[in-house]
This record gives sequence, structure tokens and C-alpha cells, in this order.
Amino acid sequence: MGLRSYIATRILLTIPMIMLLLSIVFLIIRVIPGDPVLLHFERKASEEAMEAMRQRLGLDRPLPIQYFEYLGGLLRGDLGLSMQDFSQVSEQILSAFPATLELAISSMIVAVAIGILLGVRASKSYNSPQDHSIRAFGIVVYALPIFFLGMIFQMVFAIDLHWLPANGRFPPRLQEPRGLILYLSKPAEGFVGVLAWSSLVGLICWALCIAALKRKRVKFWVKGFLISLSVLLAGWLVWAYLAWNFVNVGALRISTGLFTIDSLIEGSPLKFVESLRYLFLPSLTLGLVLSGVFIRLTRSNMLETLRLDFVTAAKARGLRETAVTYGYALRNAFLPILTMMGLQFATLLGGAILTETTFSWPGLGRYLVDRINFRDYTAIQGAVVYFALMVAAVNLVVDILYAYLDPRIRF
Amino acid sequence: MKKARNSRRGISTTIVVAAIILIIIVIVGSLYALQIGPFAPPLKAELIMGTTDSVESAVDPAQAYDFFGWEIIQNTGAGLVEVEPGSSATAEDYNPALATEWTTSADLETWTFTLREGVLFDDGTEFNASHVKYSFDRNMGIASPDGPQLNMEYDAIIDNVEVVSKYVVKFNLKIPFGPFLGLMACQASYIVNPEYSGGWKTDWSVDDIVEYTAGDARASNTMDLGPYMLTNWTRVAGKDHEMRLEANPNYWNSGAGLPKTKKVIIKFYADATALRLAIEAGDIDVAFRHITASDIEDLKDNPDLKVWEGIGAAIQYMIFQEDPLAGLPQLNETKIRRALAACLDRQEVVDTVFLGQYSPLYSMIPTGMMGRPAGEPGPFEVLGDANYTYAQSLLADLGYDENNKLPIELWYETSGHYPSSPDQAELYKSQFEASGVISVTLKSADWPSYRLNRNEGVMHVFIYGWYPDYIDPDNYAFLYYATWLNHHYSKYNATNNYNAMKAAYDAARASTDEDERIDLYDELEGYAVEDCPVVPIWQGVAYAVTMPNIKGVYLDITQTWRIWLLYGEE
Repeated sequence: MGLRSYIATRILLTIPMIMLLLSIVFLIIRVIPGDPVLLHFERKASEEAMEAMRQRLGLDRPLPIQYFEYLGGLLRGDLGLSMQDFSQVSEQILSAFPATLELAISSMIVAVAIGILLGVRASKSYNSPQDHSIRAFGIVVYALPIFFLGMIFQMVFAIDLHWLPANGRFPPRLQEPRGLILYLSKPAEGFVGVLAWSSLVGLICWALCIAALKRKRVKFWVKGFLISLSVLLAGWLVWAYLAWNFVNVGALRISTGLFTIDSLIEGSPLKFVESLRYLFLPSLTLGLVLSGVFIRLTRSNMLETLRLDFVTAAKARGLRETAVTYGYALRNAFLPILTMMGLQFATLLGGAILTETTFSWPGLGRYLVDRINFRDYTAIQGAVVYFALMVAAVNLVVDILYAYLDPRIRF
Repeated sequence: MKKARNSRRGISTTIVVAAIILIIIVIVGSLYALQIGPFAPPLKAELIMGTTDSVESAVDPAQAYDFFGWEIIQNTGAGLVEVEPGSSATAEDYNPALATEWTTSADLETWTFTLREGVLFDDGTEFNASHVKYSFDRNMGIASPDGPQLNMEYDAIIDNVEVVSKYVVKFNLKIPFGPFLGLMACQASYIVNPEYSGGWKTDWSVDDIVEYTAGDARASNTMDLGPYMLTNWTRVAGKDHEMRLEANPNYWNSGAGLPKTKKVIIKFYADATALRLAIEAGDIDVAFRHITASDIEDLKDNPDLKVWEGIGAAIQYMIFQEDPLAGLPQLNETKIRRALAACLDRQEVVDTVFLGQYSPLYSMIPTGMMGRPAGEPGPFEVLGDANYTYAQSLLADLGYDENNKLPIELWYETSGHYPSSPDQAELYKSQFEASGVISVTLKSADWPSYRLNRNEGVMHVFIYGWYPDYIDPDNYAFLYYATWLNHHYSKYNATNNYNAMKAAYDAARASTDEDERIDLYDELEGYAVEDCPVVPIWQGVAYAVTMPNIKGVYLDITQTWRIWLLYGEE
């Protein structure tokens, strides 16, 4: 089976899996004993008030109609109305997603960096005191409760040393980064001028991409990232031009919701540094705890790989130790690590509940806890659907990467 | 040779990477230093307040019925009258606000207010009597099931609002109502701007409630006659994230230099621990509310912070549900309820669970309010605390002893809606069981289920709390027989004091004579001690933690957090 057929099969298999998940979530929420509308009211409400509430939430219609409305809504990105304040659940989830994504990315970087470096070190010094120490470290950090480690860091770095903020995502005294806001008006240089400089930017991007693609050392995902970046940029230019000319849009906001990126787009080093300072402790805490898994996984896979003949052959050919270890052995030991990275990342995208709570990080983990406490069934349903979609999407990407890296699994 | 070349390439790559990192650090560091100088900027004309509270649904007096929703209404809006800061909220403590003077008829069924002239809304419209009528007609017309108007029974008190002239408005009541100024001072009676509240019309429904609008604080708030304007309100994931209050240039009392701080940023924290860490780290200037009892004890020793302590109006009590519940003894027998009440040891609860910060409560009317001065415990003292001999004798009359213990189910909530509920419940259980004749099964539920259980009347014995709507004994004394608490106490009125209690309450409502009202509440609570349908346990204390240079903190019986009086000294 070729790579394309493999990807197509994986995508086709993902669709029924997602449908099944969506249906299960829909049914579970509706078969839970008790009427969720009853839980909403402070005092015992009249039948009319409860009926009005059911209508507002769409719970008064027959179950099959509700089901199809629910699926139709999902296709439009509509996850229903929150039972607390009747705002869109999809908007609520989207507003928390960037914080969760930023924390997930940064903690993943910490976890993988520590995990791989220490795992490789341990495998290289097999059965030595260094190996034992690293293994013990891996077990200890994995066993440490996140809130405990987080609170120790807060006490040391925030309260005692005053080096880093205790919690939150950004200093209260500063305006949060909003990215780049372009005020759309007819550009002074005219359409030809815009076309000229945008073409120049596009050409530079493509030149970089082509240069990168030609260098065999560039990883697949780097290429993919650069290509998507260029496509995004090109798309934005087209859209911006259309907006300038045909749509009455006052301002165009280019924002990722990731404060580190947005502060850079905004051109504010102050905000960038502050974003990093606030991100540091939650990422370190979560990353350290997660690194335990990667240390053990890297170590065991590296131990197996280092015993293989090609490693000995590479060494015999006089290659440097580092090049053999990281360039050859680690590459081959990387597949299980990649799978674990995907699974962990998907979990993190659902919100790191304990980390977010410990550090008052306004992400999806806290959102889910709040909604559960409030018994906001539509929001819980929306959050579970979102999480299921995330896991399915990340697994799909991991499967595709896996197939790319190891052609054997396509057959 | 190859090895040497590899090594050279390795070194040069490392040097280049290191150089790039160094350059980035130098550039970013320089720009950073140039822009902000020291990491902690000095206190400016703005204050940052942290809280674990949040607006439960909306900042609309037709819907808001929660502490923080009312806080924002209080700080961005205005009512006809307001309570003197630091006072006990007696009849003499009501100050003019949007009304400059008022009179009442002899039968207390008509209240007439003369309004302040020249007060402007945000859109430049002048406030007048029609706005008062509009506000009350709108809120009562919307009649939200969760809103204060229905829950506080405005419809049972106010018949109609009449515009007498441009600056005179009259309230015609359905009943004689002495504490009417208290009702007018509460946030549910604040005046809305029609421009931002659905416009001038007469047909209202819950769809007219002004909800949170992302990115538009002005459209999310009906208020603009108060000391502040709400200029930013951000929710992330449906949860309050940040609010900004900026001085209202049209505020009627701006001539007095109010608000003292022109800009206040409110940051919302997930829990008490996060709030404590934020104030300790200097991220915020003020922490209000909640910080736990043990954290308060710690922070009192911190020389870099100031802990403010004030009267708390929040009370906690225990309710004995009187209708039959499967497998449990019916609690409509007075002796059982009195026996249970006598087993409670309030001081132990206060000392153990709340580290001595709260006060034992022997009356449903809290200490500090009219007729309940400090040092006079209250009528329930006669039952005694941990009075096991008395409890045993009462239960022995009903056949309960060490071999045939009275079984009860004691419920508590687990969502943190009330402070330390699980700890409280454990202690109450041990206190009941220390009598030797009662066995307790603990039951719990999260807050929404707990509230629903209360509405359904399915909890045998349960802990509940009250936070006042308006500051008057009238807003506490009815709890003894409120049907939404103890569903069936009123049902057994042939054998209990329900009718007498209700008569005393209504008579107290119909009077403005303080001595007469105090006598009537004493009489009412005398009946309550006899019947024990609801038993008071403790009264809370209000705490705020601030930087040492923060002044203007008032923690009085009103529980109003007056942001407009806060200021920070340089």
C-alpha cells in the first residue's frame, strides 16, 4: 500500500470512529438520570419557566431531531448554548484553547528535551550509577503529584525569590498581547505596490522552502510546516486584498492567541519576556512530570537499538559517537517515542487540569472542571466532543508520520 | 581526516548557534530593560484587585442574584439611597444617593422620593422619575426565575411605581413595609439606562436580560450612574478573566473626589490558594474574596501585607426536614429537633474548623444588626451547647436510647459553596454521636444537586447558609419558616408555632419603630427556639488582604465592597 492510500484509509477509518464517539457522548448526556433543566434554577421554578428553558436549549424536541440538530450544529462548529450564561460553547472552548495549546507545546518541549537527553545518557551509561540515578529521577518525577511540584516551585521561585510569577498567564498591569492589528485602508502604494512587496515576501518564503527541501537533512515535519506557513501567508494576502477592495472591514487582527507568538507579532519584547516568565513554571512543572515517561521509553528503546549491528558498523566506520547516537540510533529508536508524544500531546490538548488549576492557567482543563461543578451539560458535551476530535486528529497525524518514518507499517 | 572535519563543523555550528542565542538575549534584554526598568513597577493611579468570585450569569439587576454580580452593579450603578460606610445599617444610616429626600405614609404603604437633578447617563440623557419607573417595571416584568425580583418577592411588596413629576416618584406598596429603604439600597433596585436595557417598552420577557457580550463591556452592562464605568469585561472559557473599571465622569458624587482610584483592574483566580499566592507575590494590590481561614492566619504574620477584618453577615444553620422520608424517622416531632439542636457545640465548630475566626450564632439575626449587639449571644443559648443530658432525656421520651439510637442522615455540599462543609459535617456527626443516642449517616452532593435536593425536600437534615439581600432583620427572620428550606414546617401549623411566628414577622415588617421591631423579632425567635425548625450555628467574618499602602477598606454589615473608596498611597 502506498503512502497516499494508507493516509486515505486512515482518514476513512477515523470518520466512523468519530461518529461513534459523537453518538455515545450525545446519548450518555441524555440518559443520565434527572432533568438538567431542574438543576439550573435557584428555587423551584414554575413549569412554564422550565419549558421556556428547555426550548431555549433545544431540549424540548424529540431525541432523533435533537440528534440530527446536534450533528448539523457540529458541522457548522456549533456546540450548543451553555446552560450557565447561554453563550456559545464553541466560543468558550475556542477562547480557552490558545492557553491550553501554548502550555501543551511548551511543556511537551520540556518533557521531550529532558526525556530524550536523559534517556539517551542513561542508555549510554547502562548499569552505571549515572544510569541508576537517571532512572530513579524518571520514576520520582513521574510519581510526583503535579500540584505538589507546582506548589514547591511557586514557593521557591515566586514567593521566596520573587523571580517568577506565582500564577496566571500575563501580568495584570499590562494589556494582554493582541497580535498584529492591521487597520485596513487603501494602501498608499496602490495595488501594484502591494502586489510587489507581497510577491517579494512570498518569493522569499518559497525560496526558503525550496532550499530546505533540497537539503536532505531537513525533517518531514519541518518541510510540512514551512509549506503550510507559505500557504497560509499566500492565503492571507489574497484575503487581505479582497477585504481591502470588496469588504468593509475596519481592521484585520492577526492573532494566534498564543501570548509568546502574539507579543512577537505585536513587536513587544517586554510582553514576550513576560509571557515566557508566566509560561515558565507551569511548563517546567508539567514537562518535568511528563519527562519521566520519555526517559524510560527512550532508555529502553535506545538500549535495544544500540545493540544492533548497524550501530557497531557505524562506529567501526569511524563516525563520531554523538553522530552515531543521535543521528543513527535515536532515529531508529524514535518511533515508539513519537507515538507516546502524540498520545501525550492529545491528552494535553484536552487541558492539563491539575497544572492549570495550580497555576490559575485559563485553559480547557479549568473549563471542564468549572462546567462539571456547575453541571453545565451542554458545555460538558461540547468539551468531550472537542477532546474526542483532538485525540482522533492527533492520532491520525501520528499514524501518518509513523507510516512516513517506517514504511513497513503500510503493508 | 573525516573525523577532524566533522569535529570542526560541529564546533563552528555550536559557536554560531551560541552566538545567535547570545545576540537574541542581548537584544531582547536591552529592549526589555529600556521599556520597563525594574520588574515590579511602583504603584500608580490604578489598583489591581484579585478575587475568586465571579459573575454567575449577568450584570443586570433583573437577573443578577449573586455576590459578585451585585458587586459590579454596586460599583457601576446607583440606587435611590445608600448605606453609610462602616455603619450598622439602621434607619438613620441611609444616605441620599439618586434620591435627595423621601417620605412615607403613616400606614407605610406609600413611599415618595424626590430625585437628584442634573444626573446624567452615559449617553447624555438626564436621569428622572420615568427612569425609576422604567427600571422597576422592567425588572419585575422580566420576572426571571433566577432573578432577585421573584426570589426576594418584590411582586409581593410593590404594587406599582408612579411618576408624580419629573423629579418625584412614588412607590405604592401592597403591604406596609418598614424596611423599604433597605430594599431600595440593595443592588436589585438600582436604576438601569434604558438605552442599554432593551429600550422603552412595556412587554418584557427573560429574553430581554442583558447578557455578557464578548468584546463589548458597554453592551454587557445596564448600569452607568455609579462611580465607575465597566470598560472591559473578558471571559475565557465562560469564566470571568478580567474586568476594568474606570472613573465615570458623570458620577453624581464625583465632586466629592470619588472614586478615589480612577482605574481598577479586577483579576479572577481559580481558587483561594492562587489568590493568596498572587497577593504574596505582589501581583495584585488587594485580595477580596476568598482566602481560607488557615491562610488568613498565616498572612496575619506577613509584615508585607495587611489583613483587614470586618463584620460578616453570612450565617450558617441546620435544617430539619419534617416530612416523612423512606427509612428515616420523621422530624415533625419537636422533641427530636430540640434534642438535635442541643447536641451542637458551636464553639467547637468555630475553633476547630474556622480556627476561631468565626463566631458562634444563637440567633438567625446576626450579631451587629439591629437588636443583636455584640456580647449578647441570642435566644438559642437556652438550649445549651453539647447539652447531651437534655438531648438524651428528650429522646428517651420517644423511645430512643443507647440500644435504639435515633438514625439521621446529615447532608452537606461538596462544591465549596460554603466554607469547609465536609469538615463541618464530620464535626456535627461526632457531636451528635457523642450523645450516645443518635447515629448519623453522612451524605453529600455537589452544589447544583444539593440545591435541587433542597427544592425537592429530600434531605433529612442539612447544612445551609444565608447571605443577605438587604441589611435588615426582615431579610433573616423569615428563614425559620421559609418553605423553600423547610418544606413542611408550615404544613404542621396546627401543632407548632408557625402561625404565631409569621404574625410576629408581618407585624415587624409593618413598623418603623426600632424598639417595637426588636421586641417582635425577640418574640419570633422565642417561638423558633421552642420549635427548632431551623437552628443557627455560626456567623462568618469578612476578610480582605491588601498591600500595606492600601486604604479605604470598609468591611461592615452591608458586605458591600466599595471599590470607589479604595486608594493606594504611593
